[in-house]
Amino acid sequence: MFYTIHSPTTIELSVRSASIHVVQFTSVFSKLLSCDFSRVAGDFISFGHLKSTNMTLGESSRGEFRLNYSTEETISAVKFGRASPQFLLISSWDGSVTLFDTHANNVRIKYEHSMPVLDACFQDAVHAFSGGLDNTLKMFDLNTNTETILGTHSNAVKVVEYVQEVNCILSGGWDAQVKMWDARTGRCVGTFNQPDRVYTIGLCGERFVVGTADRKVLVWDTRNMGYVLQRRESSLKYQTRCIRCFPNKQGYVLSSIEGRVAVEYLDSRPEIQKKKYAFKCHRIKESGLEKIYPVNTISFHQGYNTFATGGSDGYVNIWDGFNKKRLCQFHKYNTSITSLCFSQDGGVLAIACSHMYDEKPPEAIPESSVYIRYVTDQETKPK
Amino acid sequence: MGRKKKKQSKPWCWYCNREFDDEKILIQHQKAKHFKCHICHKKLFTGPGLSIHCMQVHKEAIDKVPNSLSSRSNIEIEIYGMEGIPPEDLKEHEKQKQGKHGRAASPASSGDDEPAPKKKSDGASTSHMAGQPPGMPPGAMPPGYPPMGGGMMPPMGHMPPFMPPGMGMMPGGNMPPNVPAPHLQNKPLFPSAAAIASTASATTSNSSAATANSSIGPVKPTFPAYSSGGSSGSSSSLSDQKVPLINSVGGSSKIIHPPEDISLEEWKSKQPKYQLLKAPAAKPVEEAAPVTSSPASSQTTTPTQPTPEITKQPVVNITHLNNNTRVVDSRFYQFFQQQQERRMPQMQRMPNLAQHVAAVSAAGLLPPVSAGMIMSMSGQHGFMRPPTIPLIPASMPLIRHQMPIHPGLIGGVVPPPGAMYGASVPGAPMAFPGPPLMLPPRFR
Repeated sequence: MFYTIHSPTTIELSVRSASIHVVQFTSVFSKLLSCDFSRVAGDFISFGHLKSTNMTLGESSRGEFRLNYSTEETISAVKFGRASPQFLLISSWDGSVTLFDTHANNVRIKYEHSMPVLDACFQDAVHAFSGGLDNTLKMFDLNTNTETILGTHSNAVKVVEYVQEVNCILSGGWDAQVKMWDARTGRCVGTFNQPDRVYTIGLCGERFVVGTADRKVLVWDTRNMGYVLQRRESSLKYQTRCIRCFPNKQGYVLSSIEGRVAVEYLDSRPEIQKKKYAFKCHRIKESGLEKIYPVNTISFHQGYNTFATGGSDGYVNIWDGFNKKRLCQFHKYNTSITSLCFSQDGGVLAIACSHMYDEKPPEAIPESSVYIRYVTDQETKPK
Repeated sequence: MGRKKKKQSKPWCWYCNREFDDEKILIQHQKAKHFKCHICHKKLFTGPGLSIHCMQVHKEAIDKVPNSLSSRSNIEIEIYGMEGIPPEDLKEHEKQKQGKHGRAASPASSGDDEPAPKKKSDGASTSHMAGQPPGMPPGAMPPGYPPMGGGMMPPMGHMPPFMPPGMGMMPGGNMPPNVPAPHLQNKPLFPSAAAIASTASATTSNSSAATANSSIGPVKPTFPAYSSGGSSGSSSSLSDQKVPLINSVGGSSKIIHPPEDISLEEWKSKQPKYQLLKAPAAKPVEEAAPVTSSPASSQTTTPTQPTPEITKQPVVNITHLNNNTRVVDSRFYQFFQQQQERRMPQMQRMPNLAQHVAAVSAAGLLPPVSAGMIMSMSGQHGFMRPPTIPLIPASMPLIRHQMPIHPGLIGGVVPPPGAMYGASVPGAPMAFPGPPLMLPPRFR
């Protein structure tokens, strides 16, 4: 059974770079050893999926490949540049922020924080911002290789986002504050108190949605930061993990640690609010025990308003939030998905895959890796 | 009997015992779930069809129908919708539907959890017809479950088969069969939806936010239904503890997350290797920004693991230095710790920062730098970095960000932590002096 199943995949996968080949086979082998045949079958289903993707594209060189990026630590964020999917910013718990050229598959520039970096973002092609456990927000000029410390939070900086509409940087920290920085002068133009530690920020044009510890959700408007536009409580029962807004600005998607995702609308009229819902995902049932994994990351396809979720179960799903449908599921990655990012044109999905938490960590902690996946309309467009 | 005929009319899937309103949907389901080729995703029409396809196209033998119950996985039997079901199975299914509660954990309900949530809507629509909900295998759902939550949540009806199992379900959907039924009766199916409805009015949400803010415990005030519900009796006792823990879910499922209700990043940052850097690093930051919030900093430094014993003075020096310089090696942690052990005696002799810097740079680790120089450092670091190519020709350098800002200057603007959330709007202007909260005009 093993060999017969293998043959088509071997042929198919050999067209891509050798690295995926090895990784995926090792995952299959490990499962074979544990005699978990259903999981093996699952992997082959996803292999078949990869194959069909290649076929529909008509060019087998596309599909998915692993970046030539390695770190022994967890990758905290991957972000594409606004202009093209060529450049990817990768921040990591090893304290580094890397500008990666996905076309040439090599590192362009790397700079360091003194502590693990929790988030990074592009302002434009030449400016990157990052923050982490060292409590500082840094700006790095990729052109001149110079870094500037913009300022600090009194605790770790968890979120760094660039708001294009008002040309400012937002940083959110575990000190329960969101700070706003003028992208031109690098000066802090406001500090805004949040009810609890900031875990995530979703940008929604000029507005943004802050998710904090204790399941609080706050909607702010960058044009008038004098008051909180809306104060909400997460409709999910468990800790908020990630919030991202629909590109059409109607609402946001919120994920929790308990394998669940909520689709919410910003319009507070009851008839609109009635449309909100939540669904379960990223759960694996194993011998009668259902394992529920945190949904670590969400990324929206900017054109289709569909979104990808990545969980600690190692799966990436793409959903059509308005039609309540799952569009596809990729194969299982070797460990937790910690960050996802669609390129601006929606043609490429960057997948950061790192060990984050497991009940009993394996002896050899799985290697961190970043995959670049060329997605098709079939996978991302509402049907 | 006429009544019997009505029940019979509900088509069901022989492979997984799931019921459908319509045979068309049943066929869709079978094609997507049971007759789909796992290699090329082609949907075949019958089990034998699938096996022939796999044999001929992929040279692969299939011995079981995918996603089927173990007793119904025969690939040889030709079943299409309701056609071809062996008469004895048809009879048995009918019998089951007649409401024999005896078989509590029938293979149907224990084998596959997916049907259960969908049957819920079936049951809701048909339960008025009989005393006990017909149209569901016994055991999948205890009788006497609450009705659907009205308009709170748009009922999903029957989803197309390619729908993920969980989509459109709200909390409480997937009951473990061992939960006693009485619990379910006073537990609303969609408690979160009830909470949602109230968020529209600002006053209720404000007050609930305030109460939740004052008590550290988990979600209790907003979800009273959960604490009384069958989810876990232990959660109420846990809420008294200082670090809130996440509520456990039912017996048959498990959240893969640390027990504390903190984010994975916070949990990870408490590992000793980061604490080692973090605890002393907090110091220079506080020196730079005198107005730091003490609750916030104490919260991060509460170590779950005891911090290793290190002489304080030298470590402060190192991290202070690191704060202002960049660290070059990506494997810097291990490296750092090794170096630190090696350097320890040396540094105890030289507590003075300047001397220490000189010593470190003499060891070839870091370029000489004075503690105050933050900005001037940045240009000189190319030497350890792999050769890089500027993205844009260096002929157009941007000088606008060159103004140095000491972290302390900005950190000092931070208001005292007490005045934060409760009085959010009136308290907010303290956030920065001068023109209050309205952004400067250039932001419009």
